[in-house]
Amino acid sequence: METFVIGLSIGSILFMVALGLAIIYGTMKVINLAHGEMVMIGAYTTVLATKHLGFNLYLCIPLAFLVTAAFGYVIERTVVRRLYGRLLDTLLATWGIALILQQLIRIHFGLALFGIHIDGLGSDLQNVPVPSELQQAFQFLGANIPVYRAFIFVMALVLGAVSWWLIFKTRFGSQLRAVSVARNTAAACGINDKRVNTLAFAYGSGLAGIAGVLVSGFKTVSPDMGTPYVVDAFLVVVAGGVGHLMGTLLSAGILGEVQSFVATWLNDVYGRTVLFTVVILILLFKPQGLFVTKSR
Amino acid sequence: MTYRSASLVAYVAFFALLMVLPFFLNSFWTNRMATYLVYSICALGIAMSWGYAGILSLGQGLFFGMGAYMLAMSLTLADPSNNPVPELMLLNMEPDAVRDLCCVTTGSFLWIPFRWVTVGLLAGIVVPCILAALIGYVMFKRRTTGVYVSIITLAFALIGQLLIINNQPLTGGFNGLASLAALEVAGFEFDPYGPSVYYLVTFTLLAVTLLARYLLSGRVGQVLKAIREDEARARYLGYDVENYKLFIFCVSAGVAGLAGMLFTVTSEFAAPSLMATSFSISMVIWAATGGRASLLGACIGALIVNFIGSLASESATFQPVWPIILGGLFVFVVLVMPNGIAGLFKDFFDRRSASANDGRAVPATAEGS
Repeated sequence: METFVIGLSIGSILFMVALGLAIIYGTMKVINLAHGEMVMIGAYTTVLATKHLGFNLYLCIPLAFLVTAAFGYVIERTVVRRLYGRLLDTLLATWGIALILQQLIRIHFGLALFGIHIDGLGSDLQNVPVPSELQQAFQFLGANIPVYRAFIFVMALVLGAVSWWLIFKTRFGSQLRAVSVARNTAAACGINDKRVNTLAFAYGSGLAGIAGVLVSGFKTVSPDMGTPYVVDAFLVVVAGGVGHLMGTLLSAGILGEVQSFVATWLNDVYGRTVLFTVVILILLFKPQGLFVTKSR
Repeated sequence: MTYRSASLVAYVAFFALLMVLPFFLNSFWTNRMATYLVYSICALGIAMSWGYAGILSLGQGLFFGMGAYMLAMSLTLADPSNNPVPELMLLNMEPDAVRDLCCVTTGSFLWIPFRWVTVGLLAGIVVPCILAALIGYVMFKRRTTGVYVSIITLAFALIGQLLIINNQPLTGGFNGLASLAALEVAGFEFDPYGPSVYYLVTFTLLAVTLLARYLLSGRVGQVLKAIREDEARARYLGYDVENYKLFIFCVSAGVAGLAGMLFTVTSEFAAPSLMATSFSISMVIWAATGGRASLLGACIGALIVNFIGSLASESATFQPVWPIILGGLFVFVVLVMPNGIAGLFKDFFDRRSASANDGRAVPATAEGS
């Protein structure tokens, strides 16, 4: 049961990161390797806001969303916009952006060159204070469950629900879906597809930022923390089927559980090895994704 | 001067320059340059599979690392301090294990063939090739294309890295293999800091370049380009697309393995970091900077990126800014010059001799996909 809960929280984080990536990749066919850096920026926003502004973890969630969405907005407008239709090139360019962002944190946004150091930035590891009510644990079905893990799970469900509402119940969502199915037709019908792209990119980045806040609560924060997430999240997206919210949700859950159970049974390394193997097999034998029944 | 003869001049000038370079370098820079030329070989392998056939492997580090480990195992055993059993195994063995390579740690018998350096040298190319053949066979027979190939190769490289880190008693784990003897072939010892290794690498680069030119300027190169442009059409025309792709994927892996072996010779270590995602992506960036579809361009790209990088890391001011410049370079290359330095070179000639050139494209600088 404890293993299951750990798997659930791994899966929840994966889902939050992958959800943003799924929206970005599904809508505009851009592989955003800087997505992990959005997690990292979300985490650093938390570090800075708790240190300097006295924010608690809850307040950091909307703040990190806004900050990373702004980063995403700028990245889309300056770089990604020029690369539509060049899938593999977006991969290289966003990797470049990822390098830049990591290093900017390390050198305090360049201020370190002039001898100015901001507490909470730099290459050192950072920790975030977690509210005391989240540090407790409760009993459920005979298992000892840390509140924080449950909190992560609830947040993932909430974000999933909000995204579902946004995509399927709002005007922006229907535009988004129209653009992802047939961009030119959508544009011909009067949808400003460039604006939809930018907003989707910003929203996706913002989701990663929220994931970053939650990650910062149980892991140390460092400039290169984001890289593993982007790889894993991308695997989740393709394994679940591109552009399918439920597919992403289920595959994040399954891959999180697989990793957790194998890690408990053997060790952490085998957990990840098995995770990658499962994804390779899925890609080879069901390249459309696990949960896609019909293709358009 | 036509573009064709100009690119010939460029090839000759490049290699002539490499031949005389060691006379002007101290031992530290000779070693550095030799390492960068190793990276050039690696970039060449990527230009072959990505530039020509459109197969973007993000797991090239896996093959590079395999090559490095194969030779490093042999060189570990060649070092007297590692006799009869490598030190790393003594640190990890059970207290009562027999101190012999057959059974000191589980799986240590796998090292036995590597007592002969020849085996290490051969395995450095053959093992990556076989590995690529297996991965490629499954991938291409399932008709996996485009970005899925990149992701699958990336995942394989991650698996490789994890397995090597995890099997410490066999592979040295996170620290890798670092107490190596110098490579000795037929009684001649290659000194990593002397011109001998430098020339070994340079001539290997020359040989690989010639081989690649020979391979790709003919029919195979044309078919591969056809596959890159439109796979389905090439298939309808009756070409065995899967086998062509498998072939170039294996060749590229073999070249990466060769480069990995030479890396062991110049840098005197092999570590799991060679299989890291970031390193694999760096290799692709080198090729992209120089020109993904140009063999010479890829070589020069690897040299330039690494050379500037090492200059920057010398200076206290530039060292912290270097990754930012590097990242900016990737973005710049992709946005502004998608065909890299070689693309600029070609554009220059296209514009200058638009009438003189009758439009015959030289294979080495075809437009990238």
